[in-house]
Amino acid sequence: MTTLEIGIASFPVLLTLIFLRVPIGLAMFLVGLFGLYFATGTFNMGFSRLKSETYSTFSSYSLSIIPMFLLMGHFATLGGMSQSLFKAAEAWLGHRKGGVAMSAVGACAGFGAICGSSLATAATMSQVALPELRRYGYAGGFSTATLAAGGTLGILIPPSVVLVIYAILTEQNIAKLFLSAFIPGILAAVGYMLTIAIYARIHPDRAGTARERMPYAQRWRAVLDVWPVLTVFLVVVGGIYLGVFTPTEGAAVGALGTGLIALVNGGLNRHSFVESFMATARSTAMIFFIVLGAAFYNGFLALTQVPQELSNYVVGLGLSPWMVLTVILLIYLILGAVMDSLSMILLTIPIFFPIVANLDFGMTTEEVAIWFGILVLIVVEVGLITPPVGMNLFVINSMDRLTPMIETYKAVLYFVASDIIRVIILVLFPGITLFALRLMY
Amino acid sequence: MHRFMNGLARAMAVLGGLVLTALIILVCVSVLGRALNTLLHSGPVTAVLGDFAKTLLDTGVGPILGDFELVEAGVAFAIFAFIPLCQITGGHATVDIFTAALSVKVNRMIQMVVDIIFAGVLILIAVQLYEGLLSKMQYRETSFLLQFPIWWSYAASLVGAVVAAVVGVYIAIVRVAEFFRNQTILSIGGADH
Repeated sequence: MTTLEIGIASFPVLLTLIFLRVPIGLAMFLVGLFGLYFATGTFNMGFSRLKSETYSTFSSYSLSIIPMFLLMGHFATLGGMSQSLFKAAEAWLGHRKGGVAMSAVGACAGFGAICGSSLATAATMSQVALPELRRYGYAGGFSTATLAAGGTLGILIPPSVVLVIYAILTEQNIAKLFLSAFIPGILAAVGYMLTIAIYARIHPDRAGTARERMPYAQRWRAVLDVWPVLTVFLVVVGGIYLGVFTPTEGAAVGALGTGLIALVNGGLNRHSFVESFMATARSTAMIFFIVLGAAFYNGFLALTQVPQELSNYVVGLGLSPWMVLTVILLIYLILGAVMDSLSMILLTIPIFFPIVANLDFGMTTEEVAIWFGILVLIVVEVGLITPPVGMNLFVINSMDRLTPMIETYKAVLYFVASDIIRVIILVLFPGITLFALRLMY
Repeated sequence: MHRFMNGLARAMAVLGGLVLTALIILVCVSVLGRALNTLLHSGPVTAVLGDFAKTLLDTGVGPILGDFELVEAGVAFAIFAFIPLCQITGGHATVDIFTAALSVKVNRMIQMVVDIIFAGVLILIAVQLYEGLLSKMQYRETSFLLQFPIWWSYAASLVGAVVAAVVGVYIAIVRVAEFFRNQTILSIGGADH
């Protein structure tokens, strides 16, 4: 077998392992290690890489942003910010048809601006919004679906852990990616609200009763109550955009800020402090083990030249770049139904990115990289809410035992449709994603 | 035994969390110092404060030297310290959809094999990290700015790596027992949630 063949053969082996419930990071690590063995004939290379590579992967300054953002998200949860965000959104939207559900989406968008994880956003907002939705007579499945979809805004709206990983894998500027994710994130929130409005008209019996309309003075007061969220967001994301500090510094400032707010609001005591460490520890270790496995596997793949050969092959086919892009996005949609977003990105970007970067979309390489990153971010997030195994659906459903899963499945399809329409629009008009970038740089 | 292992994993996670918090504060102080330094160097401020601005600057108001290196060393320790908890609570990302259809017995066997291999990999990582430590020590590598020996950070990380390996071996033993006794001892997704 040539090394190229070994590289190609590693795909089915890796997928089989993953589907046999081998943890994804471990599977990539093993295939990388044994792949190097088969390609070089000895374990020396793999073992000597381990001497320094585990340490250097875990001690990366750019990746240190991840545990900091995760901790920031947990502090934000403890600080009661989800409560004030929901109240503010409700003050403005609550009186509309489906308004309480729209408020949940709006609050998710706000929370997403200080939290980089979908699951955390979905779980946090559910605690606040699910009881309210039930109180106003919203059907269980519609409520859970709304929150599952709203949760994906946690990752779409910067800061975003997945974008950090993408930026590092493709050597792109994190600040520029965050900036470009902003407009698609807002579009997602607006799209979900439209979806709710449509759903409320198709199924008026499931969309509850509207709240009473609030006077404007009261509305503005509710907005004033979210100043801590707004301040943290403006300082962190603004600081990163304007280059006042590095993304890691921004994450540290944000974590300290949300921590102080939680402390002042009385949400942070010894017990909750320790529990936020536990939650951060679990997710961080999970993410970094996948990062380590991916580093190993990708190191092996690079040695076998598979990414370059595949890229050359695809370019040689002479297909339309748009067709290749569509196929790649479809692969993500399918994979997203069974795999978590981070693993998917780490597994596929080293293979797909060289292909896309080599295609001619009539844009600069950087623009293509950023645009593609945002598109991938969105399609992997669709996976989080796609039945049967979307992670967000499970998280929310575990918080609302009264609602059967099938009800959530039915209602969430509306939101999936809204996601797919948005992806199509963003594919057809790259200028929407790149607008902010072209304006600022 | 489980209480001890669980306590060990949680203690490591708290330790890692505290280091992470310390890093966050360190980075914020450094950012603040840099901002003040820039401010004190700016025209209007020097005009108003005069010599006082210079005095302040002489006391060393500015970014913390080598904050970058401390973050790298600290975050590596924190992440290694986080792994045992992830291990004992079964927090690793998996794809469950295809194995859900298989029998409990088969699933126990898969889990056993996976966790034995996982334990092996964690031991391998710890051993190779130790090898790495020895070579850093031998070549007396130091960090660029602070000039502290790199092996110090390796040694700190090694603590987490060793605990992870110990916990990994414990989990593997539990899985073997589960398979042969045909009962669940430690449910995946966390025993104490």
